[in-house]
Amino acid sequence: MNRGPLAKYFVLLVLMFFVNLIFVGCSGCKKDQDTIEIPKNLPVHKEKPNPENQEVVDQIVNSFPSPVEVAAIIKDMEVPFSKKYLADPGIIDNYDINFKKAFGLGVLSADLGYLNVYERTTLIVEYLSAIKRLADDLRVGQFFDFQAFKRLATSNENLDSLVFLSVNSFSNMNHHLQENARGNLSLLMVTGVWLEGLYLMTQVYKEHPNDKLKELIGDQKTIFTILYQGLKLYNNDDYFKKILDEFKKIDKIYSQVTITYEKVKPSYQSSQSDIPVYEQEERSVINITDQQINDLINITEQVRNKLINL
Amino acid sequence: MKRIAFITTLLAGLLFILAPNKAHAQCKQQMVYACATKGKSIYLRDFNTKLRSSKPHERSARWTVVLNKDAHYRFNLCTPEGYEDKVIMTLYDSQHPEKTNPYGSTYDPKTGKHTDSFDFICRKSGMYYISIRLKEGVKIKKTCAVGILSFVGSTH
Repeated sequence: MNRGPLAKYFVLLVLMFFVNLIFVGCSGCKKDQDTIEIPKNLPVHKEKPNPENQEVVDQIVNSFPSPVEVAAIIKDMEVPFSKKYLADPGIIDNYDINFKKAFGLGVLSADLGYLNVYERTTLIVEYLSAIKRLADDLRVGQFFDFQAFKRLATSNENLDSLVFLSVNSFSNMNHHLQENARGNLSLLMVTGVWLEGLYLMTQVYKEHPNDKLKELIGDQKTIFTILYQGLKLYNNDDYFKKILDEFKKIDKIYSQVTITYEKVKPSYQSSQSDIPVYEQEERSVINITDQQINDLINITEQVRNKLINL
Repeated sequence: MKRIAFITTLLAGLLFILAPNKAHAQCKQQMVYACATKGKSIYLRDFNTKLRSSKPHERSARWTVVLNKDAHYRFNLCTPEGYEDKVIMTLYDSQHPEKTNPYGSTYDPKTGKHTDSFDFICRKSGMYYISIRLKEGVKIKKTCAVGILSFVGSTH
């Protein structure tokens, strides 16, 4: 049978299909290509993690609260907005390695969450630009649709969409890093989010002290413990060591805070009767003294300011 | 003519190779967005999965999630039309197992009633599990489901 030229091109197309399958099939198992070349006399920042740690770290990262959650809790307490709680987006100019960039991306994402929840759209663009730069440097900028963000922020209309886009972009960047064996960068991102959240809570408490916020700050011990264990998996890296040295100071205070549990009868009344409400019948009781909360406020401020300027 | 056909084939092939090609069957972003923005609560996270009854490990998916004390959370479940009574979302932990005594679920086995959402009043911070699974006995080729975690308010 005499095959015409179009048949040959069809064969070529089929061949390309199989080449594509090979590419796609390997995309999930592709090794990271961006290991930094480090001169011998410089501190070592290994970007490739130990694969044994990867699963544990992925679980920690994936379970962590969203960058908007602390802001949502604080706004719900009717605490007024204040720009002074936020990090200066200009700090990113000093970030020269990917680890610093990942940590900074987390810090600024928490601040973006705060701005979103308080609907401060005029300030959002400045933070978006900084986040976009960090995301591009970490090669996860494709998950950050800057133009869509800018359009939503400047139109001041659909704030639900802005929150969705912020949280979703953060989550997609995290997943991409994990899938490409860069889970240590993800861990630094959530570390930045968590520390900025704790800083926000403690700063708000300093100006608007209340028992509920005090309890919430003490209760962060639970989340801190999980995060601290995750960070310890990378204690052979110089940058992680610096973070761990700082976190030791927070750990010293949290180790004095005790959490006990007691049975309670569900008492919460929901305003929306058509949705089933389930309330836990056991609650945690946070035992934290005024001295401990004051120590936490001071240490958190020191640690956060040191790490964002590292 | 031959050259044009060759170039066209080559370009089509290259486009095919280079185009983003995700061969998964999770719910599309439009559906996630619609599910995340349908209430007044603040979107925190989504749990997006494909489901298939023919493969046991694809009948369900599980995620860990850290929840904060004294927060009022809402869990919404969205599925493509026609699958509303075939998929279940459940919140549980080791003390409140998924099958026997979960914290909350979109399906009540006692009444047989399905809901597309439930609220959870968290009284202790910690790590919890969310599962999305096909209901026992359901046989379908494939579908997707997305769960949304959102913040309703503090319970102070």
